[in-house]
Amino acid sequence: MRIGILALLWAGLATAAPHHSQPEKVILAPGYAELTFTPPVVGSYSLPVLGDAADGEVVNEASESVRLHQLLGDKFVLFSFIYTNCSDVNGCPLASYVLSKVQDAVRGDDRLSDYVRLISLSFDRSNDTPEVLARYAGNFRKEDFDWQFLTTSSDTHLNSILRDYDQFIIEDVNESGKKVGSISHILRVYLIDQHRRIRNIYSVSFLHPDIIINDILTIVKASGRQK
Amino acid sequence: MGKPNSASACEPRENAINMIAVNCFGKQVIERTNKIIPYGSLGEPERRIAKMKRLIAFVVAVICWPAALADETCMSPYMAKIVGQEDFVYVWTMGAKGLGDEQDKLVTISVNPDADDYGEVINSISVGGRNEAHHSGLTDDRRYLWASGLDTSKIFIFDIHSDPAKPTLHKTIDDFVKKSGGVVGPHTSYALPGRMMLTGLSNNKDHGGATGMVEYTNSGDYIATYWMPKDGALAGAEKSGEYAGGYGYDVRALPRRNVMVTSSFTGWNNYMMNLGAMMASPEAMAQFGNTVTIWDLHARTPRKILDVPGAPLEIRCAWGANNNYCFTTTALTSKIWLIYEEDNDWHAKPIADIGDASKIPLPVDISITADDGLLWVNTWNDGMARLFDISDPHNAKEIYTESIGEQVNMVSQSWDGRRIYFTSSLLANWDKTQSTGKDLQYFKIYDFDGKQLAHELTIDFIALKLGHPHQMRFGAYSLYGMKAPGNGLALN
Repeated sequence: MRIGILALLWAGLATAAPHHSQPEKVILAPGYAELTFTPPVVGSYSLPVLGDAADGEVVNEASESVRLHQLLGDKFVLFSFIYTNCSDVNGCPLASYVLSKVQDAVRGDDRLSDYVRLISLSFDRSNDTPEVLARYAGNFRKEDFDWQFLTTSSDTHLNSILRDYDQFIIEDVNESGKKVGSISHILRVYLIDQHRRIRNIYSVSFLHPDIIINDILTIVKASGRQK
Repeated sequence: MGKPNSASACEPRENAINMIAVNCFGKQVIERTNKIIPYGSLGEPERRIAKMKRLIAFVVAVICWPAALADETCMSPYMAKIVGQEDFVYVWTMGAKGLGDEQDKLVTISVNPDADDYGEVINSISVGGRNEAHHSGLTDDRRYLWASGLDTSKIFIFDIHSDPAKPTLHKTIDDFVKKSGGVVGPHTSYALPGRMMLTGLSNNKDHGGATGMVEYTNSGDYIATYWMPKDGALAGAEKSGEYAGGYGYDVRALPRRNVMVTSSFTGWNNYMMNLGAMMASPEAMAQFGNTVTIWDLHARTPRKILDVPGAPLEIRCAWGANNNYCFTTTALTSKIWLIYEEDNDWHAKPIADIGDASKIPLPVDISITADDGLLWVNTWNDGMARLFDISDPHNAKEIYTESIGEQVNMVSQSWDGRRIYFTSSLLANWDKTQSTGKDLQYFKIYDFDGKQLAHELTIDFIALKLGHPHQMRFGAYSLYGMKAPGNGLALN
């Protein structure tokens, strides 16, 4: 874990500040470290429904068009928006890192192992082809784990999903108005239950594997599907 | 991995022209090479560059972690922040009889000194009546401003991203009381990830002060109600002192400690009553909150009720990564209180007097600087802005005072603390109606050099027939990747 954090930190420093000779100090998000508080006990709180998880047309790593709803509804899903060129150590790399830790926890917990799917959907469709995403997935996904890396086939499909999930992004431009390849965005990860309902939305401050696992266990327990 | 100049919402964002960056954890971690140089001392080429830099108002989106609460420092830590020059101040304004259309309205003021219309009211959108316009708040993505009415319990959601200079009314929530199960008087609108938490001030059973918090999605859909703990219904909270009245007022969060903090004011019966009549009534004066409540933020459950006698109002939490404390001021007893964590528990204690309590200065809005060093405290009754040194949070010291107007309520400051904005109105039936020669209902801009305020501009809301100005929120083109009209420069 420590090596992973350092690698991510180094990557963030190396790419976020290429024009500066001195490395810049970056404070890592809580998701990279142990929790600094005791989370509420599983089942001692409720996660009210925040709305329905929207459908949309996406493309999987095999370049097949699928409906997002085909990937929702049978399992509890952790749904993350990312793009692979994101160099903010506290942005998309954090999301993928935390999801990988959730993956590890789920694999080791027979209460959850059959019930959880991870989805990472790119909002940089020009760069993040299925092939690129498959390579990116190799950095995080364990071979047998149900973690889907998706993109979209058109701006129309992408924008529809972004709108429905209230995921706001800005494609960064330079002084001449030319796109520079980076995308400013709010980091959001959605917890979706087996009825395709959003049960929690995480941003950086609460994107921590321990909290997410507790939340999944809480709604699994409430659903009666726990082994 | 990654590309040059990459920036997302939660990192120190880098722009084409670097200015200041603040990371997601409340520490200003990158100091670029920019030095602060008096604009007037620059030659023409330098002036153009300086102007470009100001035009490229640099925005840091800090949706992630306590970055800094100035009005930019007083916002939700989940929210995008403007750390450069703000372009607009949105003023939620209470309609008043005999003034213009007499309706509540969102007034947009141009505040970028480089704008041709600097200091002018550039937009005003009325909402169709008077609702006791009071507080407002921004969603975490800063695309919508929620503004509520304490009397009608209506919530008006304005779109401020499609055209930041011309907000439009996007949606009105008019079933707040019904959906919430009886909460009345939506007050603070506080951003959580993809959600808004609204505090109430009252209830529909007796219009007293027992109330709750109500959570909505950013789209304006009701999620849940969380009642304030009170005697007989503590909901698992520890009553640590004498009081547990179930009152509510403000809310702030410290995500790193999984803590939410709420304060307490009074119910509809009092805040809609004439101020003189209320203060003359012992029964009415007994109906004020005396508590601050510590909540489990993630579970939304109350943990501990702390005695803070005298109506603790605004809550401002420190930004520093290890500064696990918040401040509040008590309206009736005129003190600053520190709400702090020690030995893995939360406590409250008074740390300073605010003026002479016997003269009822009535502390109202407060604003903490991004470095946790200073706290502005307005006292409404004498129209004074008071600055306290809070670098030692256990020993606050008043270091500066300035008369702002006949009355002063809200204070908002830019991220760097250089620009301080004030408005005047408190409540329809509490506001002063006669001036002794000072400004009565106004919006004012001051520059602050670290020692004293320098008046820059006043907008008289009575002369412009706008109403009584209350809460201010900042806007900027750069939040939405937009250009300021006329300058031809990309702002992101």
